[in-house]
Amino acid sequence: MSTISNGPWQKNPALAWREIDDETVIISPTENVMHELNETGSFLWKKIDGCRTAAQLAALLAAEYEVTPGAALADTEALLQQLVSSKLLVPAGTATSGAPR
Amino acid sequence: MSATAQPGASPVMDRLIARTVRKHRPLSVHFDLTYRCNERCVHCYLDHENHGELTTAECLAVLEEIAKVGTLFLTFSGGEIFLRPDLFEILATARRLHFDVSLKSNALLVTAERAARLRELGVRRIQVSVYSDNPTVHDAITKVAGSLQRTLAAIPLLLEQGLQVKLACPLMKENLMAYRGVMALAERLGVPYVLDLTITPMMDGSGGPLTHRASTAELLPVLQDPALHACHAQATSETAGRAEVLPPSLGSGVTSGMDSFAYDDLPCSAGHNSCYISPYGDVFPCVQLPQAAGNLRRERFGDIWYHAPRLEQLRAVRESQLPVCSRCEIRAYCERCPGLAWMEGGDMLGAYERACQLAEQKAKLAGVANPVSALHARQAPGVIQAPVKRENGAFMPRLN
Repeated sequence: MSTISNGPWQKNPALAWREIDDETVIISPTENVMHELNETGSFLWKKIDGCRTAAQLAALLAAEYEVTPGAALADTEALLQQLVSSKLLVPAGTATSGAPR
Repeated sequence: MSATAQPGASPVMDRLIARTVRKHRPLSVHFDLTYRCNERCVHCYLDHENHGELTTAECLAVLEEIAKVGTLFLTFSGGEIFLRPDLFEILATARRLHFDVSLKSNALLVTAERAARLRELGVRRIQVSVYSDNPTVHDAITKVAGSLQRTLAAIPLLLEQGLQVKLACPLMKENLMAYRGVMALAERLGVPYVLDLTITPMMDGSGGPLTHRASTAELLPVLQDPALHACHAQATSETAGRAEVLPPSLGSGVTSGMDSFAYDDLPCSAGHNSCYISPYGDVFPCVQLPQAAGNLRRERFGDIWYHAPRLEQLRAVRESQLPVCSRCEIRAYCERCPGLAWMEGGDMLGAYERACQLAEQKAKLAGVANPVSALHARQAPGVIQAPVKRENGAFMPRLN
């Protein structure tokens, strides 16, 4: 199993973000960088709650959009990898300051 | 499914601005929590008496509403925000709702504990007013003895917590040549700064603060200074090389971020993807355009934002249709503000003297031969300008 699959992940509490018309803009204040997620990325972002694993998130994606479970898992893991690399996600239960509970 | 932006180069920011302008989403909100202040700056445009500020519960309800309609960039200002005893409760709610939070303050009430709390809550930036690096000059403007010393003592506390600090220095007669000192101070602190030539009338339209405004001629040494770039925010050596750094103008009432192509033919962002909320719940297109579109004690934000006639009228305005300014040959040098056009000239669509004078000075400095604004061209010899009163009380037209 990949590291990403191990999850679960939670949103970095230091972030600012907003979904605007199905796309999500995320600001990482410590890095001072802005990111954006498209509609499916935004869908997954909303489902990341510190509890769900990559497989569970992929199942939600497959159920919402017309995509095979395998493709959904691959896409989900790829996105999670990007989000973790960018420090937008952190392992669940590891971050407490900077923000929203 | 994702893209990482380089807002310095602005692809994500430009897309975001374009999208929010096109769909009229209130991306940026400037929320003044109080007009009360612990300084009495000579140029201030506010009435510092409390005429019934929004309560804590009302403020929190406003935050819930603007989060729902898509606001991301939220600037809390005043007055002095630290005079609100519920400031941290408001900030905590703002961060729980995932806003990108910036503050404006004189920092007199910032302590190590408060700076740490700001960091814990995830406040990203704080803009601090500094009028000079000379205490005599600064304190004479704020009318508070020792204020510069206290402000400068607070800045390291904020920086130690990792907050982004920016110095803001409005320039007026009293501190016109102090900008070099503020620039040097910013350099020493390792923070960006913004110099602002805008001194506005009081929000009720009375002109008291304008007596402190430097004339165009007095501003010449500033406009000519090669160290400045039209008084826009300067990057520090640290930030200059970082392509990802967010534009410093975001969420700021000082600079508009109007350099984005997304604003195209619009006079400014006010009412298109940004607005202002007063401590009393009035919703204005901008702090410099104090025409209330509605009040949050009587209406929901979304109803005001999407349906107020005043905002709909504002959204219909295009630069290319301005009666005078659209024909101006030196428009490229002008920083015309619709709010100041209204406050100083009585017509949001009109030209006003201050902007024309500054545009002519800047055009001249840029090498334009004999630059004349469209307003002044209309007033040129041979054009009827105004009636002149005769001794007998009748009026006659005069060729100027």
